[in-house]
Amino acid sequence: MTTRILYLLFFVWLFSHTGMITAQETFNRKWDGQKIKGVRHIAYPTYTGFPFLTDVWVPGQIEFSNGEIADSLFLRYSAFKDELLYYNKSIASQIVIDKASIGGFSFTGPDGNLRTFRKQYYDGYLKGDRFFEVLSKGETDLLAYRKRILTTTTPYKDEQEILKDQEYTNAYQFYFYSPGKGYALVRPNQNAFLDIFNTIDQKPVKKLLRKNRVRISDEGSLILAWKIVERAGYKVILR
Amino acid sequence: MKKITLILLFLISLWFTGNSQQKSFYGLYTDRDVYVSGETLLAKIFLPEGISSSIVFLDLMNMNGTHITGASLAIQNNEAQGYLQLPDSLSTGTYLVRTYQKHNEAKIKTIREIWISSRFDGLEKINQIKRIIATSSIQDKETTQIGITGSAPEYKPNSSFEASIKIDESLLKELDGNLLVCVAQTDQSFNPITFTLENDRSNDGILEKQGIIISGTITDKRTMEPESDITVCLTIPDSIPGFQYYKTRKDGRFYFLLDQYYGSVQAVVQCFSNNPTQRLNMKLDELFADPGTLPEFRLQPITEEFKTSMTRNISAGTFRKVFGQETLTFSTPPKRNRDSYPYYGKAFRTIDPQLFIELPNFTEIARELLPGVKFRNYNNEPSLQVLNNSTHNYFEDKPLILIDGVPVQDLNTIKGMGSADIDRVDILQNERYYGDLRFPGVVAIYTPKNDYSMLPESSQLARLKLETIQLQTKLAEPSVTEPNIPDLRQLLYWNPTTQPNQNITVKCRTSAIEGQFKIMVRGKLKDGTMLFSEQHFEVK
Repeated sequence: MTTRILYLLFFVWLFSHTGMITAQETFNRKWDGQKIKGVRHIAYPTYTGFPFLTDVWVPGQIEFSNGEIADSLFLRYSAFKDELLYYNKSIASQIVIDKASIGGFSFTGPDGNLRTFRKQYYDGYLKGDRFFEVLSKGETDLLAYRKRILTTTTPYKDEQEILKDQEYTNAYQFYFYSPGKGYALVRPNQNAFLDIFNTIDQKPVKKLLRKNRVRISDEGSLILAWKIVERAGYKVILR
Repeated sequence: MKKITLILLFLISLWFTGNSQQKSFYGLYTDRDVYVSGETLLAKIFLPEGISSSIVFLDLMNMNGTHITGASLAIQNNEAQGYLQLPDSLSTGTYLVRTYQKHNEAKIKTIREIWISSRFDGLEKINQIKRIIATSSIQDKETTQIGITGSAPEYKPNSSFEASIKIDESLLKELDGNLLVCVAQTDQSFNPITFTLENDRSNDGILEKQGIIISGTITDKRTMEPESDITVCLTIPDSIPGFQYYKTRKDGRFYFLLDQYYGSVQAVVQCFSNNPTQRLNMKLDELFADPGTLPEFRLQPITEEFKTSMTRNISAGTFRKVFGQETLTFSTPPKRNRDSYPYYGKAFRTIDPQLFIELPNFTEIARELLPGVKFRNYNNEPSLQVLNNSTHNYFEDKPLILIDGVPVQDLNTIKGMGSADIDRVDILQNERYYGDLRFPGVVAIYTPKNDYSMLPESSQLARLKLETIQLQTKLAEPSVTEPNIPDLRQLLYWNPTTQPNQNITVKCRTSAIEGQFKIMVRGKLKDGTMLFSEQHFEVK
């Protein structure tokens, strides 16, 4: 009997709540890439190496300069041309998104890590807007400019048996950046890292790194070293 | 046992019914109950809990169900405030102010009866007025926990008015949101009825989270069947035109969200078929809800006191119009996120034909001034092509042609445009994409008038004047008038966002208008119950 009452109570509750469920959306208002501005991507010349940062299309998010956000788009960052491409399924085309319309973007790489890029004006050599990957965020940011360039190499024949003498190579550049203070280029090695600190700070920074058993030799150790040094309160010299 | 179960079920269903009614209740309050045509009606709306839509509609309808004016109001903390400008041309009679939302298909409407006297008719010939017979009128709860003290029973015209509102501490904990405090002229012979109207379907049940939604249906002109996959474009003129597009669904429906737009907005909606021979018909939905079932009316004899009061109000309203005394001050709209360049891309070249020798038509302008643009008009069949900068060939397809940001397909529209008709021309010489739309080059013509007069009339094009989210307003302070200009305000104080406090002081000045006035405080409890407290006084 108790079960029957409980069932009846449940149905009464269900019936009385059905009338409240009225707010049915009749169209999907999700930002679906409808407002993305760009031009069709023209294939880059083929050489050894790869012009894109990731060799597959990765799902990501774009934050536009007008504040709007486009989600769940298949993206690919061209490290060769410093431009962002997305795949438009409806027209089956690769579109190069207008750089002027983008504020930043992020995607989950094939390794599962979230990578965040933001557009910033670079006032050094080759002035202009660049997409920088944010490696560490704080009072002073550690940024990476994922540049891939064409370099001359020993002549080789490609898959079509065409003789070529160029290849895509990484020319990544790392910068410390603080708004209003500017950029400081840093190479991922111990001496270059120590050079961006005051002469007085260099010794304790070196000691701190040794204490934490960090030897800067690549990107990973650079990020780790900076996080340790930043936590300890040391400041880099920016231009 | 069976009996007990049945009684239990009956009681539970009763409780649920009562509870759901309370939740769907909209509190609608106006500054006054009687108006003169041409005046401004101020309203405050208390909304039920748990509403995810951010827009509530307020409109005015006559007794026959004809929509007169309306506004879409932004909801803040389950409350909204706004105004309706009553047209000058309204005839004398009873009108209905309605409030509703679209997310629930405007099924639940709260309707308030008001009286409007025409400024030009008077009430001499009227002996009876129509009043609503409402079966489900809303009765607010008068409370003694909100005390109004410090006001005198009589005030002289143009004197200081001050009153204190004292709220019980126990009530303060139960109050939900802000209070409405209003001091206005009142007419006791016209007590308006507020009632709810339910189960009255109108538009789609769309959740308006950020702004108003423009919707409609596209049908084939020949078969009258809904057409899918038709591109519908919405253009809003601006220095950088606003543009949206929508591919129609299987039922031929399309939707546009106008977020971040405030006040009156001009817009052009167009539809384009994939088949050039197909003719389409576009039907836009009304922004405001259908009248639905109209209430029944009864006739009530008009009192002499009401007639006298209204005659005085008509004179006051007319004077205020003549002297241009403003009722409201408007806040500036929130800053809108804008693109730095138009949706069709950054122009390669911008040409101003005014800087060159005057040319009579677009053929001459294209030939002489627009590099990479080939416009021909052989045998009165115009064609336009743009040179592709990447391939150095002309695009085979017709480029995107815009007049003041509005896409134009018929080249006959632009062929007669000479230097005098063109302010500037933007040219883009590459294959551009905007979402799924492909533009093989762009020729954007901007006219000096910027009024869309060059656009041809068609069943596939609609020019709209949209009432987007209403700007926030405040009651204008009584202006320092010259001694010979009377202060004829009927509304002395209006604050729909009064923070509930134990002591609230209301200070204002009476105007030159004599008669019955009242100070009114309205609020909402957390359980949805509407409370009020009021006190009458006379100005003589």
